[in-house]
Amino acid sequence: MSLIEVRNLKKYFKVPAGLNHAVDDVSFTIEKGETLGVVGESGCGKSTLGRTMIRLQEATEGQIFLNGQDITHVKGRELDKIRDKMQIVFQDPYSSLNPRIRIESTIKEPLKHSGRFHGKAELQEEANRLMELVGIDERLRQSYPHELDGGRRQRVGIARALALNPEFIVCDEPVSALDVSIQAQVLNLLMDLQDQMGIAYMFVTHDLSVVRHISDHICVMYLGQLVEKAPAEELFAHTLHPYTKALLSAIPSTDIFHPMKRVRLKGEITSPINPEPGCRFAARCPYAKEECRQPQKLQEAEKNHYVSCCRLKEIS
Amino acid sequence: MSEKKEKFLSVRDLEVVYTSRKKIVQAVNKVSFDLHKGETLALVGETGAGKTTIAKAILGILPNPPSKVLGGEIQMEGEDLLRLPEEKMLEIRGKKIAMIFQDPMTALNPLMTVGEQIMEGLMLHNPYDKKQAEEKAKEMLEMVGIPAERWVEYPFEFSGGMKQRVVIAMALACNPLLLLADEPTTALDVTIQAQVLDLIKELKDKYETSMILITHDLGVVAETSDKVAVVYAGKIIEYGDKKDIFLHPSHPYTQGLFASLPSMNAGEKRLRPIPGTLPDPTALPKGCAFAPRCPKATQECMGEIPNVKLGPDHSCCCCHLKQEG
Amino acid sequence: MIRRKKKGAYDQYIKSSKSSLFAETMQRIWENPGARVGIVLLAVIVLACLFAPLVAPYGVNDMDIQNMFAGPSAQHLCGTDGMGRDLFTRLLYGGRYSLALGLCAAIFGSVAGTIIGSVAGYFGGKTETLIMRIMDIWSSLPSILLCILISAVLGSGFFNTVLALSVGNVPIGVRLIRGQILAERSREYLEAAESIKCSKISIMFRHLLPNVVSPVIVDATMGIGMTITMAAALSYIGLGVQPPTPEWGAMLADARTHILNYPHLIMFPGLIIALTVLAINLIGDGLRDAMDPKLRK
Repeated sequence: MSLIEVRNLKKYFKVPAGLNHAVDDVSFTIEKGETLGVVGESGCGKSTLGRTMIRLQEATEGQIFLNGQDITHVKGRELDKIRDKMQIVFQDPYSSLNPRIRIESTIKEPLKHSGRFHGKAELQEEANRLMELVGIDERLRQSYPHELDGGRRQRVGIARALALNPEFIVCDEPVSALDVSIQAQVLNLLMDLQDQMGIAYMFVTHDLSVVRHISDHICVMYLGQLVEKAPAEELFAHTLHPYTKALLSAIPSTDIFHPMKRVRLKGEITSPINPEPGCRFAARCPYAKEECRQPQKLQEAEKNHYVSCCRLKEIS
Repeated sequence: MSEKKEKFLSVRDLEVVYTSRKKIVQAVNKVSFDLHKGETLALVGETGAGKTTIAKAILGILPNPPSKVLGGEIQMEGEDLLRLPEEKMLEIRGKKIAMIFQDPMTALNPLMTVGEQIMEGLMLHNPYDKKQAEEKAKEMLEMVGIPAERWVEYPFEFSGGMKQRVVIAMALACNPLLLLADEPTTALDVTIQAQVLDLIKELKDKYETSMILITHDLGVVAETSDKVAVVYAGKIIEYGDKKDIFLHPSHPYTQGLFASLPSMNAGEKRLRPIPGTLPDPTALPKGCAFAPRCPKATQECMGEIPNVKLGPDHSCCCCHLKQEG
Repeated sequence: MIRRKKKGAYDQYIKSSKSSLFAETMQRIWENPGARVGIVLLAVIVLACLFAPLVAPYGVNDMDIQNMFAGPSAQHLCGTDGMGRDLFTRLLYGGRYSLALGLCAAIFGSVAGTIIGSVAGYFGGKTETLIMRIMDIWSSLPSILLCILISAVLGSGFFNTVLALSVGNVPIGVRLIRGQILAERSREYLEAAESIKCSKISIMFRHLLPNVVSPVIVDATMGIGMTITMAAALSYIGLGVQPPTPEWGAMLADARTHILNYPHLIMFPGLIIALTVLAINLIGDGLRDAMDPKLRK
């Protein structure tokens, strides 16, 4: 049994122009203690996917299972129980901490809600342990968020997520707002925590080099749909979907002697509002043909490697 | 140096401070560099290192107060930009030096069509009449890959990447000699970033424009620049050819930056980050500002830091390096 | 060795910046010269009124029959009124009512507005529509008319007057808070609070409210001044505090028949009202600047 299973998940938003298909028929599983990377560009629905999975937003259709239990529509006490097991770390360390609450109180709050601790001393002890775990100095504990830099704030956000002792954490672009040198510190921290506690991550990001480093499996998303899903090294070694190829080649490389040959994409990302059936990438795809207008399905092209492209045979 | 190119811009000992809540912040500390015609210099560094301040000082648009240029000179075509009267700078700004800002959303006036915004700069600096300016504006749009008939549209009708193209068209409209690009692709998605970088490179080569590119992304640097200056806490701590910096990074900070990139750690279980955080700009340490985070730091680092010449075009501010030869 | 030294400097930096938001705000108000004048002025007025029995040279209803309608003199600083009562003394005692009325009405109106506005803003949907439409109707009635109506129906008395004075402020508070909440609602710390099992009530009052309440505090402060003038107006037409209780508006009302013969009777109450309102507005301006998160580091 997988820790998390997502089955045909859909999340639509009503907007003035129609229906925004933010997440459209997405399925995958996450095993205990492993990391699933979800990669895509802005507006592809990756953040919505994460928020829907941990029930910060209601799914339009489909199911979410946690340890085999269907949690798609649980409410009240039951919802509180699953909150203990699923947490989130946000992208923006500036808006994800309440500016008027001190660091220590921010971390103590979930501890109080957990009901695992009795008395002030126990609570304090656990808060101290968490802060030490994520590397927040003692002298900073009574500070307000605006007194800390981005990296330290993100550590506070991680401590808050850890406080309920979760089995699964959605990391929504946790390092994209940080400088390179700090980014590496936070990534290492996340990986250390995973080793110590066996937490599973869903790592949502637009940065392929980060996702490659941290993930066991990777899903590539485009306009609400998965276009490719594979084990991390497999995905980089045998990239199959034209979009993934373009994405990979678009990353500016630090290798000054062997610049990557770039797949030039035409046009811009189209909108996920009232999309046409068929491949959503077709409008920008260099290989697009008439048959791409048919609805596409994610199919196993190689072992454990799923791709949603009807022209796979011709183009590879 | 094999081919002696024409020296075009020369910044010497530029010093900028600003006051923030009664504290004085040394934003730029004795920065010097040269730029040749058609060359691209990348200013690399983290948030708050002072990269943008350098660019704004060159363009003369630092808000005063709170900022103040304390000293130094910026020589361009035999004139010191820091000592030119404002009327002269008005002529230079937009005509000879143009800037591309990080956020295309705020760089465009939402109440004017993109065509009008390009025309505005054109008519200000050229003896064009309305008709000519309109023709030229359309031509510029086509050049950055936007159909000319869209010149009557307003910024909100364009996507982020398209807006950045419009900004680039505006910046290049008057054929500037120097382009200051402040994180021009940071707000864009990777695939769009690739398009915009290609476009900038192409246009720059076509018009032989010199460029100062400000970025924190070493990949972008590798793809677009000729010279690299690594900025830390308001100082250029390492300067050199792209090859020097990428093959022989000499300053511990530059080495740390490369080492902390995920792509440089393929196959390794953990990244190698630089410990600590950027120093508080109101209380910079004595001597080398990087010393508190530096694995090699010794007592020596608290004193005067030499600028060591490592090659014909490669220098580095670190007391652990030996002069070449 | 170097590292330790550096850490010490950073410690100091952290320590220097570590003060509560309240203390920081207070300090920033004090640094604003206008607000400082306002604070000193208001403090003098409030303290004098508070300790009226000690400061005042006479009893509040003591009549000096020899000196009716006397002008300002060493004996009677602001002169006396038609019954020979010392005007300065009555201003001090009257200030207790006027200031208390203003303060209570402003607080009452803003608190009510804040609660209703938070419910509208946070819950949204039909609740919001219903509340906002009621507020539209509410604020379309002139507030002075509403005020007169309520005091006429409920009768005079301190609490009724407070109620009458505060109703006009409620829709303003509701609109302010709702607008702030709409802007703040998308911030991630609220989602974070939801994910760590905070109840809706706790999210609303512990997380959301402290972040949106500054403009209402500023508005309420400014409102005190306005309410004092309004209370004076109400007393002036005989619906506020009843004689012989001294109140600044009521004193103005009493004096209106003697406006040409004894201008000091109208001048001094008018002056004190103006000074108080000025002081409060100066403080309000300072408070707005001090609470602006954009100015805070």
